[in-house]
Amino acid sequence: MHEFLQISNNTLFVYYLFSNLIYLGLLILAIASSAAHQRRLGSIKLERVKQSPFVPPVAMIVPAHNEAGTIAEATRSLLALDYPEFEVIVVNDGSTDGTLEALTEEFNLMQTDMLHVTQVESKPVRGVYMSAKEPRLLVIDKEPGGSKADAANAALNAASSQYICVVDADGVLEPDALLRVMAPVMTDHRRVVAAGGIVRAINGCRVEKGKLKEVRLARGPVEVIQVIEYLRAFLIGREGWAYFNMLAIISGAFGVFERDLVMKVGGYRPAAIGEDLDLVVRMHRYLLEQKKDYHISFIPDPVCWTEVPSDVRSLSRQRARWQKALIDVLWRNRDMVFNPRYGRIGMVALPYQWLFEMFAPWIEIIGYSTIALAAYLGVLSREFFLQFLLFGYLFATLISVGSVLQEEITYRRYGNWRDVARLIAFCFLEHFPYRQLHMWWRLKGTIQYFRGDFKWQPMRRVGFQKN
Amino acid sequence: MGFLSNLVERLGPAQYVFGALVVTGVFIGLLLVFILVRRMLRRRYLEQRDRRTLVIRKQWDALVAGTYSPTQWRFDAMDRDIVESILTDRLDVCPPEEAAQLMRLLRTTGLLDTRIHEARALRGWDRRHALVSLGRMRAPEAIPALAEALDDPDAETRIAAVRGLGRTGLPRAAEPMLERLRFDTLQVPERPLLNALLNCCRSGPAVLVPYLRFADDRFRPLLARLLGEIATADLEEDLLLLASDPLAEVRASSARALARAKPRLALTALGNLAGDDEWFVRLRAVVALGALEDPRTIPVLIETLCDQNRYVRLRAAASLAALDGYLEEIIQQVLRTRDRYALQAFVSELERTGTLPRLVEALTDPTRQDYAEDALLGALRAGTQRHLLDAMARHPQAKTRKAVARLLARSQEQRLVPALERAAATSRSRREQRLARWLLAHLSEGGIERATQKMPV
Repeated sequence: MHEFLQISNNTLFVYYLFSNLIYLGLLILAIASSAAHQRRLGSIKLERVKQSPFVPPVAMIVPAHNEAGTIAEATRSLLALDYPEFEVIVVNDGSTDGTLEALTEEFNLMQTDMLHVTQVESKPVRGVYMSAKEPRLLVIDKEPGGSKADAANAALNAASSQYICVVDADGVLEPDALLRVMAPVMTDHRRVVAAGGIVRAINGCRVEKGKLKEVRLARGPVEVIQVIEYLRAFLIGREGWAYFNMLAIISGAFGVFERDLVMKVGGYRPAAIGEDLDLVVRMHRYLLEQKKDYHISFIPDPVCWTEVPSDVRSLSRQRARWQKALIDVLWRNRDMVFNPRYGRIGMVALPYQWLFEMFAPWIEIIGYSTIALAAYLGVLSREFFLQFLLFGYLFATLISVGSVLQEEITYRRYGNWRDVARLIAFCFLEHFPYRQLHMWWRLKGTIQYFRGDFKWQPMRRVGFQKN
Repeated sequence: MGFLSNLVERLGPAQYVFGALVVTGVFIGLLLVFILVRRMLRRRYLEQRDRRTLVIRKQWDALVAGTYSPTQWRFDAMDRDIVESILTDRLDVCPPEEAAQLMRLLRTTGLLDTRIHEARALRGWDRRHALVSLGRMRAPEAIPALAEALDDPDAETRIAAVRGLGRTGLPRAAEPMLERLRFDTLQVPERPLLNALLNCCRSGPAVLVPYLRFADDRFRPLLARLLGEIATADLEEDLLLLASDPLAEVRASSARALARAKPRLALTALGNLAGDDEWFVRLRAVVALGALEDPRTIPVLIETLCDQNRYVRLRAAASLAALDGYLEEIIQQVLRTRDRYALQAFVSELERTGTLPRLVEALTDPTRQDYAEDALLGALRAGTQRHLLDAMARHPQAKTRKAVARLLARSQEQRLVPALERAAATSRSRREQRLARWLLAHLSEGGIERATQKMPV
């Protein structure tokens, strides 16, 4: 038993060390990559790019299910984006709360006989509407498909632009977000097939008429911890992975894709739990099988602000769903793991996802159990344990503070110093008991996945703060 | 100290962890200090820059006239940066007379020479920044330094040089890029290159023509695309030649450019391109035909309205719907095609562009009434029943509702019956129910002339 505990503790130590060292490496890379991006932007001048006739048109796709309260405002906000050529396609996915009526009233919609040819799978379309006020708007009313993927596919079939950008109906894009996320496409369009922007928590910010007026940090600890998590995931994780062209996910809340490529891989998979992760991995697979030279980019400054769960219950559901989505995609693509045919994705990115993301909650719980067992058997060195715990705590804090630093030296969305101080304070507080709860939610997600429980559970929304 | 070393010794293997712990703690502390100090320094820098900008702005006229001595600002890095920034921003928007004065200032104060030197001597990001800044100065003497950077082994530097050349906006600046393209020695992404060439050639597109004539198949589509954006009417002979190019991309670009040629020449060429084998060539031709806004394009556009490609049909419909004065004739011709997809595309476009609501409004305008009635009857036969029934039931003006109802009764369009029966049975508004019944009665009686019931509008 002692030998088992010894091996177990050593394995966990190595696992833990690797996990943190990888993140530390990503942090250093992300800081360098962000600095390069800032400098590059300085010479591009987005204002000039906007005037170019070579800017590719983009179709903004907005899947909407029971969004009557916010859809008109969200659509108006999208139509006001600063981009020379784009269309907005709103898909009413069988809403029962008058979403279509709200749009009809706001934009004077008229049903048209436009032909809707199904190229990628989606539930039947009931009608296609155009606006008498706004020629760039197209509304598709369809049978409920039960997933965002199904709604996005209906819009894909109707889109006529070279690029598509899927956004959440409840997200708020910064006015130049589309222009910024398209920057890598415009710089090297033959290689860049997709680009993702950063998603941030809107909780606590002031929003008026679908526009973000003031960035403030939310008051609730659950929300603040998520702000740090998002900063860490996007500004360090995705930035770092994208540096090596190993980005496995572009957030479903805001990402641009080459339409033809999405069609070639069969569009979104309607049954996918995490349609965003699923699509990007399938794109990697297709392009690598075709031996194409391509790049999937992450751009850290075009921001999509979205509401994050403000209560523990909603947050637990969301994290369980993310875990299910991860398992679903990794299991389906297990043949890519350690398969040299899939290059870096197969040899590094996916194995990392398996080892340090999917198995993480299990390994964490094994760690806690063996420590408890060692303590019970009296073989745990208390001194070593406490210091190891402290070291782990500080290392994780270092990564979190690093992500706040990254935000501070590059984008500085939080102008108020009190907000920055609170963010830093929470970097020290998030490890207990939030981290353990998070582990538990992910474990629940894993169990639910293997029990076949894929039911969508809605998140409680408090809406955007007006004052 | 003795206590500390004893403590570290007592820790045994854990001393490494202890060391790491101390290092991590110190590192976090340093990060926090860095954030705070950086914020403070940044604020101080911005305030200082703001103050200096105000001082320079106050002296601006004297500075441009040369009476404010350059020695007062030229050797201070911040002041020099402010002056250069104001100068280049101004050069982007100012009239030619002022530009000449600003160029003189750039030359006499040595700002231009400094940038030329930096563009040649510096490395990395500093060089790239110097290249783009040099381009913004729009000086012909900057072109050689910018052209040298086109051959740099670093891709980012080459892109910066391309951007710099583009920013000059001088046709001469296009030549180094075109020369290298011709011999396939310029390795930069296509879009920044296109943008740069576009900026350079906008004021003199003729510079592209000789390169286009001798370009190979890799290079020709790119130049043709560029010409498609900026070609002027005096280049129409070259454009006609391109319209028969073996490469589809070149033909498509030619079609795009022909929208700006004289209709006399363009019509035949665009008519041919509208029947091209490649859908995107046909699409470009249809868009260009629409841009001509000439009724002679109607037969070709009607033909392309029946195209097998959806995008071509949609653009043909948009071009036809834009020919407002000829709608009646167009609708009749569209009906004669008996093509369901063509009808759908056209009717959708009429709805989307607001043409139908405009025609409905015109029903009460004595000067346009006859035309509107004929056009709407045609549109009704083409499939716009829903829109007209909506107008009859819900238009805010009673006079217009009445006019639509009379028109529908006169149409004898039996396809209206199912919708009217539904409205008569299920509509929430009693007025709408009565109106539906009235119209049903007239459709069965055979027209408004024999109407006996009073219209319940």
